[in-house]
Amino acid sequence: MTSRKTGSRARSEWLTAYGLLLPNMIGLLVFVFLPIAYAFYVSLFDWNALTPKSFAGWANYRELFGDAQWWQSVRRTLLFSVVYVPLLFMLSLLSALLLHAIRGRASGIVRTMFLMPFAITSIISAIIGMFMLDPRFGIVNALLERLGGGAQPFLASTSQALFSIIGVILWINIGYNMIIFLSAMKEIPADYYEAAAIDGARGFRAFWHITLPLLKETSTFILIVTTIGSFQSLDQILVMTQGGPMNSTEVSVLYIFKQAFELLNMGYASALSFVLFLIIFVLSLFQLRLLSSKK
Amino acid sequence: MNKLLKSAGVGAAAMLLGLTAACGSGPNKSDQSASAASSGSAGSAAQASAPANGGKKIKLKFYDFHTEAEEKFFKSLVDEYNRTQDRVEIEYSTFNQGDYTTTKLPTAFASGEGPDIYMISPGDFMKFAKSGLMADLSPYFPEGAKEDFLPASLDAVTVDNKIMALPFELELLGLYYNEDMLKEANVAVPKTWDELYAAAKTLTKGKVAGLVLPPDKGPYFNFIWYPFLWQQGGSVLSEDGTKSAFNSPETAKALDFWGRFFREGLSPKKLQAGPWEIDHLGKKEAAMQIVGTWAINRAEEVFKDVPINVAPLPIPEGGQAATDAGGWKFAVNGKSANVEEAAKFVMWAFAGDPQRALKWCTEVKFAYSPRQSVVEAGKDIYSKGMRKVFTDEIYNSAIPEPRYPSEVLDVVGDAMQQVMYGKYDGAKAAAAADPLINDALQKASK
Repeated sequence: MTSRKTGSRARSEWLTAYGLLLPNMIGLLVFVFLPIAYAFYVSLFDWNALTPKSFAGWANYRELFGDAQWWQSVRRTLLFSVVYVPLLFMLSLLSALLLHAIRGRASGIVRTMFLMPFAITSIISAIIGMFMLDPRFGIVNALLERLGGGAQPFLASTSQALFSIIGVILWINIGYNMIIFLSAMKEIPADYYEAAAIDGARGFRAFWHITLPLLKETSTFILIVTTIGSFQSLDQILVMTQGGPMNSTEVSVLYIFKQAFELLNMGYASALSFVLFLIIFVLSLFQLRLLSSKK
Repeated sequence: MNKLLKSAGVGAAAMLLGLTAACGSGPNKSDQSASAASSGSAGSAAQASAPANGGKKIKLKFYDFHTEAEEKFFKSLVDEYNRTQDRVEIEYSTFNQGDYTTTKLPTAFASGEGPDIYMISPGDFMKFAKSGLMADLSPYFPEGAKEDFLPASLDAVTVDNKIMALPFELELLGLYYNEDMLKEANVAVPKTWDELYAAAKTLTKGKVAGLVLPPDKGPYFNFIWYPFLWQQGGSVLSEDGTKSAFNSPETAKALDFWGRFFREGLSPKKLQAGPWEIDHLGKKEAAMQIVGTWAINRAEEVFKDVPINVAPLPIPEGGQAATDAGGWKFAVNGKSANVEEAAKFVMWAFAGDPQRALKWCTEVKFAYSPRQSVVEAGKDIYSKGMRKVFTDEIYNSAIPEPRYPSEVLDVVGDAMQQVMYGKYDGAKAAAAADPLINDALQKASK
C-alpha cells in the first residue's frame, strides 16, 4: 500500500517536473535545435537567399578549409578570447572582493556604478566606448595628455583596435559578472572565515583556501559562459569598427555576418556557422571537463 | 510548410550567428498601412476602376529605409496615391538603414514575403536584378517620360536592354570648405590634387582636420574614392564589366593620393559623426570635406552661422573633371503577383507629375533629378547659393555610381585600406587586388 503511494507520488512528481520543463524544451527544439539542423542543411547548398538553393554537397566546407581570411578571423577570435576571458574573470572577481569588503550605503552606490554599463543597451555602451576612445576628442586621450602621455589612435590603429574593443567589452560586462561572484560570496558562511582566522589564515590565505574553492561552481559557470560569449561577440564590434581597420578586428562571427548579409552567401555562411558551432561546442566540453575534474 | 521551413532557415542563420541584436529591429516607427479613403481626390495617374477581386483591394508592400522628413514624404506620397485608388492599397514600411539591405530585404525575399516595391542601392543592384527580383519597368513609362530622363541615369539601371529600376535622384559630390578657415590660413580654394594636398596640410591644426574623407570600409568609402580614379580615365572593371581593369597606373595614383591624407594625419582615421554628415565642417572640426549634395540643406539650416561653401572636386595634372552621381532607385519585385500595379505606383511617383520629383529633390532634400523637365522646373532653386556651384560647375561631370557586385566593392575597399595604413603602396595594392577582383567577378556571376 505504502509502496503504491510512493510510486504514485513519484509519478506525479515526474509529471510535474516534465510538465514544467516541457514549454522550455519545446522552445529549445523550435528555436534552437531545429534551426541548427536547418542551418546544417542550408550549408550543403549554394544559396544567396534570393534565388532557389542549388545542392553543393560538401563544397562550402571544402571552400572554408582554404579560406585564409576565415582562418585569420578564427585566430583573431582565439586571441580575443584568450585575452578577454581571463581578464574578465579576474577583474570581476577582484571587483566582487572589493565590493564584498565595503559595507553600508557606499556598497550600493559602487555596485550600481559597476552595473551601469551593462544596464544600458550593448549598442549604446559600444557607442559610448567609441566616443571615449576617439583619437581626437575622446576622454581617454584627454586624460592621457593631461598625464603627460601621448594621444593614442585606439580604434583607428590596426595593432590597438582589437585590444581597445576588449577594453570596452570588459567595461560593459564586468559589473554583471561581479554581481554573480558577489552573490556567491555572500552564500559562504562567515563561520568558515572565523574558524580560519582562529587558525591564523586571513587575507589572501583565506581567499585562496576558502573563497576560491567555494566559488568553483560560479567560476565554472562564468568561464564557460564568457568563453562562449567571446566567440559570439558581434554587435559591439560591428558598431565600433565594422571589422576594421584593415580587417584587424574581423572576428569569426563578423566574417560570417559579412558572408551572410553583405555578400548574401547564405550557404557558405551556414557552413562557417556550423564549424564555429562545433569549435565552441568542443571547447565548452573540454572546459567543463577540465573544471569539473579538479576536486 | 515550405514557407515555415524557409523562415526557419533564415532564423537558423540568425540564431547560429548570434545576431539577435543586429537583426532585431522591426519597422522603424511606422509600419503604416495608409488608410484608403474614397477615391474622390484627383490624381494624375489614378487609374480607378471597380475592385476586381470580390471588393477586396490589392495590397502592395512598399519597403523603404528613409527617416524623418524623407519618411514623411514617402508616407504622404503613399497616402495621396491610396486616396486615388479603389482597387489598390500601398502599405508603407520603413526600416533602419543599417538593417535594410543586410537583413530585412534578403530575409523577406528568402521567406517569400518580399515587398512588391522597394528601394535599391547601386551596390546591391546586380544581385537583385539577376535574381529575378526586379521587374522590367520599360513598358510602364508614361508616354514621353523615358526621353525626359538623362540617358546615363537609365543606362545605370538597364540590364539586357531592360530598365530594371527607376532612378529618382542624383546625388553629386563636391569639395565643401569653411571659407573663414581658408581665408585665415591664406589658402585658395584648391583646384588640383597638389593644391588639395597642400591646403589640407596647412589647414590641419591641432584637433581640426584638414580634409574629412570616409575612413571605414563600405560602399560609401568606395563611392567617395571613384572620382579620383575616373579623373585620370581609370576604371575598376573593363568596359564590358567582365574583368578587372584595376591594375593600372591610374589606380595606383588614385590610391596613393587617397592614402597620403590618412598616413600623414591630414584626414582622421576615426570619425565621431558619419563621414556623410556635414557636421564635421559645421562644428568646425574640419576645414574641408568631400560630401554630396544632400549636405546643403543641413549646412544652410543647422549651420547657417558657419561660412560653408562648395567647389568642384580638384583634379590631377592633365586630368578631367569627374564626380560620382549616387542615389537609390525604385524597384518592383519581378516575382510579385502584381507587377503592373506596383509599377504604376512607381511611375506615378517619379515619372509622372514633375512637381512630386521636384519636391523630393529640392524641399525634402537636395539632389538632382535625373529628369530634365524637373531640373528645368526647379531652375530657380537649382541656382540658389551652393546649388549654383553644383548646377554650373559639377553637374556636367557626373558619372553614375557603378553597380559593382558586393564582392568587388570589398576587394577595392581592402586595397584602399592597405594604402591608408601603409601596408602597400598604390601600385602594389592595385596589383594584389587585380586577381581578387577577377575571382570576385567569377563568384558573383554564379
